[in-house]
Amino acid sequence: MMLARVADSLYWIGRYVERAEHLSRLAVVMLNANLDRTDAAAQAAQIALAAVGDPDPTRAAQVLQSAHDLALDKEDTGSVLISLSRARENARQVRDQITTETWERLNLLYLRVTDPGVEEEFADDAAGFLQAIIADLHLFKGAADATMSHGEGWRFMLTGIYIERAQLMARLLEVCFSDAARPATGDHIALMSLLRMACALEPYLRVYTADINPRFILEFLLFDEDFPRSIRFSTERIEEHLAHLSRRLEGERADALRLAGRLNARLKYADADEVEAAGAGSLLSAVADECAAIHEAMYETFVAYPLELSLPA
Amino acid sequence: MSSGDSVAQVQTAQIKPAGSLAPSQSAYLPGEAYDEMFAAGGVTRPHYELLRHRIETLGADELEDRQETLERSFLLQGITFTVYGAESSTERIIPTDLFPRIIPANEWSTIEKGLTQRLRALNMFLADIYGDQRILMDGVIPRDLVLGAPSFRRQMQHLYVPHKAYANVCGSDLIRGTDGAFYVLEDNLRVPSGVSYMLANRDASRRTFPGTFRQAGVRPVERYPDLLLATLKSMSSEWRSNPQVVVLTPGVYNSAYYEHAYLARLMGVPLLEGRDLVVHDNMVYMRTTNGLRRVDVIYRRVDDDFIDPLSFRRDSSLGAAGLFNAYRAGNVVICNAPGTGVADDKAVYAYVPDIIRYYLGEDAILPNVETYLCREPSQLSHVLSNLDKYVVKAVGASGGYGMLVGPHASAKERADFAEAVKADPCNYIAQPTIQLSTAPCLVDGAMEPRHVDLRPFILSGDKIVVTPGALTRVALKRGSLVVNSSQGGGSKDTWVLADDADMAALDDAAAKPAGGRP
Repeated sequence: MMLARVADSLYWIGRYVERAEHLSRLAVVMLNANLDRTDAAAQAAQIALAAVGDPDPTRAAQVLQSAHDLALDKEDTGSVLISLSRARENARQVRDQITTETWERLNLLYLRVTDPGVEEEFADDAAGFLQAIIADLHLFKGAADATMSHGEGWRFMLTGIYIERAQLMARLLEVCFSDAARPATGDHIALMSLLRMACALEPYLRVYTADINPRFILEFLLFDEDFPRSIRFSTERIEEHLAHLSRRLEGERADALRLAGRLNARLKYADADEVEAAGAGSLLSAVADECAAIHEAMYETFVAYPLELSLPA
Repeated sequence: MSSGDSVAQVQTAQIKPAGSLAPSQSAYLPGEAYDEMFAAGGVTRPHYELLRHRIETLGADELEDRQETLERSFLLQGITFTVYGAESSTERIIPTDLFPRIIPANEWSTIEKGLTQRLRALNMFLADIYGDQRILMDGVIPRDLVLGAPSFRRQMQHLYVPHKAYANVCGSDLIRGTDGAFYVLEDNLRVPSGVSYMLANRDASRRTFPGTFRQAGVRPVERYPDLLLATLKSMSSEWRSNPQVVVLTPGVYNSAYYEHAYLARLMGVPLLEGRDLVVHDNMVYMRTTNGLRRVDVIYRRVDDDFIDPLSFRRDSSLGAAGLFNAYRAGNVVICNAPGTGVADDKAVYAYVPDIIRYYLGEDAILPNVETYLCREPSQLSHVLSNLDKYVVKAVGASGGYGMLVGPHASAKERADFAEAVKADPCNYIAQPTIQLSTAPCLVDGAMEPRHVDLRPFILSGDKIVVTPGALTRVALKRGSLVVNSSQGGGSKDTWVLADDADMAALDDAAAKPAGGRP
C-alpha cells in the first residue's frame, strides 16, 4: 500500500535521475570527442545534440557551449541541473519514503549543481565535473538498491528509470539508424562515440570484439538481453515491475501491464534481419510512442484513477 | 574525585574556555542574567564540570572543525529552511550551537512535575470550555475573554474527545529568571514544532562529545517518535485496536516540512497532504495506488483554520472538505483537537494558575511570568505609564511578531504602540522584561554567553509523558532576548541528566547480559 501521490513522485525521481545521467554522458562524450580535431568530433556533437532534439549544426560547432548548456542551463528544462533539481524536489516530497542513504546521495548531487561556484568548477574541468555527477548518480542508484525495500515504491522508481532509459535510447538510435539508406555515420570514431553515449563500449567489445559495425551496434543496443542499457533489457524490466505493481488490479485496470507486455514482446520476438532490411525507424518510433502510452496508462491506473471505482458501495 | 561534585573547582569567569584560544579573543563574561554554566564568581556549576573539562582540552581549532562537520551534516540531511530571495531561493540550516545545555536531575524533576500538572489542567479546561463551561459559570475567568478569543472554536462544542486529551502534543516555552527558577512563558497547544531539532541536535552532540555524553549520564530522547505513535494510537483505542495513523502536512513549502517528514519516517506512517485525502459518507480515506484506504488518526501539522474548508476557512486547499464532519461523527481523530488554541491564548495564559487551582486544587508548580491584562482599566493605566519597563504583546500574534520590547524601543515606537494599545486594549498583555538565562555558545571560535529558553515536549493521550530533553533556543545576537527562529534564533542540544537512581538502573541493565543468568 502506498499513497498515489508518493508513487507518482517516486516514478518521477526515477525518470529525472536517468535523464540527468544520460545528459551528463552525452555532454562528456561530446567534450572528449572534441579533443580530436577530426570530423568525427563534429559528428559526435551532432548525434548528441540531435538526440536531445537540437539538430542545429551551428550549435554542434560550439561544443563547449553546448555541453555547458546540456549540463547547467537554468532555463532549459532538458538540462542536468533542472533534472537533478526536479528529482530532488520530488524526493523532498516523499522524504519519508526513501532511506536517508538514498536521500543524501541525491541531496549531495543537488547541492553540487546548485553551488554558487559551479560555473567556475565547470569551466575548470567540465568533463571531470560531469563524470563525478555520473559516478554520484551510480552511487544514488546503488544506495537505493542496497538500502530501500524492494517493494512497491522502489518498483515505481525503477519503472521510471527504465521507461526514461528506453525512450532516451530509442531517440539516440533514431538519430543514427532511422534511415537505413542514409546512416548518420559510418565513421569508426563516431561510432565509438555513439557506443560511449550509451555507456556500451566495453560490454559491446566483449560481445562483438573490436569489430565496430553499425549493424552490430544497432543489434546490441536494441536487442541484447543482458546489457542494462539495451532497449530490450529496459522493456523487460518495465514489464517485470508492472507485473508486480498490477498484481492486485482487476483485468480492465491493468492496461499499463498489457501495453508493457506487448512492447516487450515486440523487442523479444523481433527479427534482426527484418529490422535491418526495413530500417529500424518504425520500431524505434514505436518504442518511444508505447513508452509514452505506458506512462499515461500508469498515471490513469495508479494515480489519477476515478474515485467511483474504489468507493465502498 | 569524591569531592569533585560537591566542591566545584573554583575558576574565574575570565578563563579562556578553549585552551588554545588566542589571547585577544574575548573571555567569557556572563552579564546580570543567570548563567547556566557559571555561578557567581565564575565558579563552574558542578553539572557542567565534565563538559568544561572537555572543551578546554579540545581547543578552538578542533571545536571549529566539529562545528563545520555538524553544519555540513545538517545541510546534507536537508535539515534546512528556505530563504526566498528576489532572484533565487537558497536553503539555510537553522544555526546550531555545539555546546549542549545541561539540566541536572533535580531541576528536571520539578519541570517534569510542573509540566504534567499544567497540561492535565489545560486539558480539563478545554474539556470544560467545550463542554458545560463550569469554570465560566463560577466566574473564575471572564466569559468574553474565552468565548471571544479568536482561537475559540464553537464547532468543537459538546464533541467527544477520547481521554479528554485535546492537546496531544504540547510544547511549552520555559525561561529561567535571574533568580534561577524556571517560569512558563507560553504554552503551545496548537501545532508546536521543533521536536526534530531536539532529535537532530542530540545526534550531533553525541558525535561531538561522545565521551562526555556517556560519562555524564544523559537521559535519552530517542523514544519520542514511538511515544508519539503510541499517544496517537491511544486516541482511537476505544474503537479500533490497530488504527491507521497518518501525518498531515501543508506541504513541502512549509518551513517545518522537514520535521513533518522526519516524524512520519520515524513513526513509519504515511505523510499526507490535503489532496491525498478523500472524505465520503463521513469516512476519511487516503488515495493509494490500490484504491482508497481508511484513515483513523490524523496527526495534523496544519492550523485549525485550514483543515476543512467546509467548517473553517473556505479558501483553504491544505485540508480536506468534510474532514471536520467525519471527526464530529467519530470516524476519525484529529490530533491536536481543533480549538486547543484557546488554552494557549496570551490573555487566558494569565489565568492558568487559577485554572490549575480550579481543576486540581493545587498550586502551580511552575509559576507564570507576571502578566498584566490591558483589558483591565487599572492594569492598562499602569502599563501605559510604565511602557519603558514592559514587553507588550498582541494576544493573537506569535513568533515574536506584534510586540514591543519597552526598554529597547525608542520614545516614538513606544508612543505609537501606546496608541495601538489604547485603541484595542483587550488585544494586549504586558509582562516585565525578563533577563533570560544565558548559556555558553561557540561564536567565532570563542565561548560567549547567549540568552536561551527551553521548549520541552509533552505528550498526552491515555497518559501524559514528558520527554526528558528539550529544544534549547538561542538568541544568536549578543544581548538579544528574541529566540524565535524566524527572528534569527538558533538552537542547541539539551542534556537532561539522570539522577542516581536512574543511573543505577542504567548501570544494572548494562552489567547484566540480556537474558543471562545472574
